[in-house]
Amino acid sequence: MQHTILLIEDKPGLRDTLQSLLELHQYQVITAANGEEGIHMATEHLPHLVISDIYMPVLNGYQLLEAFQAHEQLRYIPVIILSARSATEEVNLALEKGAAAYINKPFLFANLNASIQHLLQTTSGSAPLNL
Amino acid sequence: MKNGETTVSHDAVNLLNNASNIIAITSHEFKTPLTAISAAVELLAARLHTRQQMDAFYEKNLSRITTEIFRLNNMLDEMLTINSIMSGRMTLNKQIIDVVQLLTTLRSNYFADPEDTRSFELIVTGIPQGIYADHNQLNRIFMNLVGNAFKFSREKAPVVEVDFEPHQVVIRIIDDGIGIPENDLPQLFQPFFRASNVNEIAGTGLGLSIVKTFVQENNGTITVDSVAGEGSTFTLSFLYHSDSL
Repeated sequence: MQHTILLIEDKPGLRDTLQSLLELHQYQVITAANGEEGIHMATEHLPHLVISDIYMPVLNGYQLLEAFQAHEQLRYIPVIILSARSATEEVNLALEKGAAAYINKPFLFANLNASIQHLLQTTSGSAPLNL
Repeated sequence: MKNGETTVSHDAVNLLNNASNIIAITSHEFKTPLTAISAAVELLAARLHTRQQMDAFYEKNLSRITTEIFRLNNMLDEMLTINSIMSGRMTLNKQIIDVVQLLTTLRSNYFADPEDTRSFELIVTGIPQGIYADHNQLNRIFMNLVGNAFKFSREKAPVVEVDFEPHQVVIRIIDDGIGIPENDLPQLFQPFFRASNVNEIAGTGLGLSIVKTFVQENNGTITVDSVAGEGSTFTLSFLYHSDSL
């Protein structure tokens, strides 16, 4: 079964490259350039997993996590946060707001993929998603 | 005249604050293009693999780019840390820390050099107890010392011994690397000092001065025993939470 991942990143260069890397690893990828667009795409497509940046225009990653938690269906979708900031307070804040994992930029794709695989395995079957 | 001096002093403080802010913002901003470069290198490697065009030459050089990206990232982290120490913005948030847990997490996340597949050996003795320290700073101390142990040795994997003694925990980071010449030992923890035998091994010379500052901030001690050509042992000690109150 092919999994759908929503990638939310405001830098087009990084977004395109990550999309290609994910597609090369057999994921179906949809993208958004900020949190607001991300919530819209997530509601419309109900992806299996979301990968999101934190510092983005319009609506940031923390606000996105809050909106996901408040949503009946989106709250069950695991969100991996990718961020250049590594202070414990920032990591804890994201985890408190519902992030399933926090990965520091720059990262090795193998580490991101291991996180994706782990979350897809642990959430499959338990999330009440009508996909 | 006095007013003039005050103005100059305010201007100098503002200038320093601005410079410090610029360093903090740009250091974080550098990480986005670094991430894009590193992802692009991995995409190239993945594409070469799937098309069965990957050979030893491509593999070695692509891996080298990734290694240098992470080296640059480590330098940025050191600059950010020194910047927050010097600007007085380093805030301490002490809590009870499980040292073994922190080292176990570090071991599973460690990827400073993708070309180096070794993992460090963790040996724990005694009954584990928590220490009262700042998580970020303790993590930085171990990342730096373990990172150095990998960087300056290429044969055996480094060893980290955690010995829970009656009143303190003693942590030894041991490597069989190039060691530190005796004449260099007194200056080892000074900012920008680099031992005379590091040759082409990259570094800023800031890492150990950060380690020393953080060890002191957390009421710990650090010593080093080293023989050039044979290896180094860095020994840290921290009082238990119950004994540090």
